[in-house]
Order: sequence, then structure tokens, then C-alpha cells
Amino acid sequence: MKGLEELLTWIARGLVDEPDAVRVERIDEGDVVVLRLHVADGDVGKVIGRHGRVARALRTVARSAGARGDRRLQLEIAD
Amino acid sequence: MSEVSVEATGETVGEAKWSALRELERLAPGVDRDAVRFQVVSEGERGLLGVGYTPARVVATATRPAVALPPEPTGPAIEGEPAVARALLERSLVALGIAGTVSVEEGDDEVVATVSGHDLGVLIGRHGQMIDALQYLANAIAHRAAGEDRRRIVVDAAGYRARRAATLDSLARRGAEQASATGRRVELEPMSSVERRIVHEALKDDPEVETESEGMEPHRYVVVFPRRTVD
Repeated sequence: MKGLEELLTWIARGLVDEPDAVRVERIDEGDVVVLRLHVADGDVGKVIGRHGRVARALRTVARSAGARGDRRLQLEIAD
Repeated sequence: MSEVSVEATGETVGEAKWSALRELERLAPGVDRDAVRFQVVSEGERGLLGVGYTPARVVATATRPAVALPPEPTGPAIEGEPAVARALLERSLVALGIAGTVSVEEGDDEVVATVSGHDLGVLIGRHGQMIDALQYLANAIAHRAAGEDRRRIVVDAAGYRARRAATLDSLARRGAEQASATGRRVELEPMSSVERRIVHEALKDDPEVETESEGMEPHRYVVVFPRRTVD
């Protein structure tokens, strides 16, 4: 799970203008673990992408990684 | 305006100044000699028969001429497509807890990164969703780093792309047969843009049918029409 947070952080850093502002916050909500992706205000569009394609790909990565464990993983983009 | 300064030594203050000036001209070509300021740190000691000799020491400072400014580095270092693809996949394997290796093959306009190992099901995902997401992200990162002028990254694992291409090809042909047999449009299942392109390609020379994409992402799909006869 820790590996997933690192992976998402690494991917997001590769997409934004301010990589130092990228942070993944982990929120435990029982059966569901929410990973909240924080980026600089000007970079939110970059992690959402055209037609939300980047966000969808990031969510797929989070979900697939969660499929291995017993808890559902959800990615949120903080704005 | 930035300043540049150097420290130099010489047997005399005069010699030290000369070598400082030469060094300045090497660091900042085109520097205005008359605007160079010298500060003598030490006059030096001649010593006697080489005993007690200390060199003269000066610091020379000049304003860097505007034209000689070195170019500012722009943004993060550009990583090539092979490095981006490899790093993303190796990190994904770690995150998924899968033992596997990544090999990268470089072509003129395509870079194919292939994952080998056992138990790659999670990396491929249902209907290839995970492998397509990774491929999309690899391209997005490479695009961010290198701009338009870059090669397309293809992510493959355990022969997935070839198997999927064969499946799409037969799906396309079956759709075409059905469309021309019934004279009606046939809607295929929703696919990614990469997969839809494979279907369009498979049927583009078919004299019986035409293809088009319809619907909204991520549920966009290919429709196969019987080709309208020209009167």
C-alpha cells in the first residue's frame, strides 16, 4: 500500500509544473482507503487531463493496486 | 545583473592581477576590463632564497556582460521515453507486489516496454484497463517532459497486445460479416482509442463495410455499417 502512495506521487510529479507541491494523503475509512492527491493550484488541470483522462487512469491504477488487498482503494483529487 | 569574481595568485600583485583578469575573461567572455575591480588580499612576501615566500593574492570582480549569461536551465531535466516507461513500470511492479522485469525496445517512432514475469494479471487488469492506464500515463509523463516531438510509448505484458489485437481483428471481421449479411449497423463493445484504431484499420479496405466511432469516452465504441452503394 505504501508502494502505491509512492507510485501515485511519482506519476503526479511527472505531470505537474510544481513537483515539490505533490503530496498523497491517506485517509482510512473502514473498508475503504481514500488516497487524496494534493497538487499546486495551477496544476490541478494537469492531473485531471483532457476529458478527465489522466484522472481516470490514476484511479484505475489505484483501484487495480487495491484489488490485491482486502480493502478498496479510492483516489480523490483535492482542489 | 550577476557578478563574477575570481581569486588569483602571482609572484607580485601585478602578476596576480593579470592572471585574475585572464581567468575572468575565461569565465565571462566579453567582460569589460576597465570595469574590473581588484582587491588585494595579500601583497605577498618575496622571501629570501625561496624561504618565507608567500604569493601575492588578489580578488578580481566584474559584472557579467548580459550577452555572456549562460542559458538558464528550463524546467526539469528531460528524460527520454525509454527511461520514463521503464521507471513507471518498475515502480508499478513494486506497488503491486509483483516480481517481474521490464525490457524496452526502441524504434524510430515507437518505444515498446514489455513486462515479463508470472502472475501479471493485475498489471493487465480487466479488459486491459490497468495496462492501458499505465500506457496512457507513461505517454502523458513523456509528453510533459519532451513535448510533441517524442515517440509513442507502448506498454505490453505477457504477449497481451498481440493477443488483444488478434481478438479485435476477429471481432471486427465478425461485425463486418454481420453488417453486410443483414444490411444493418453493428455496434461493437466500448473500446479505448488505441483499440478502436485497430478495428478501423482492420476494416478500412473491406469493400462491404465502413466504420465510425460513436458515443462518449470511456464508452466510445465502433459502429460497422454496410457500405452505401454509389448510384
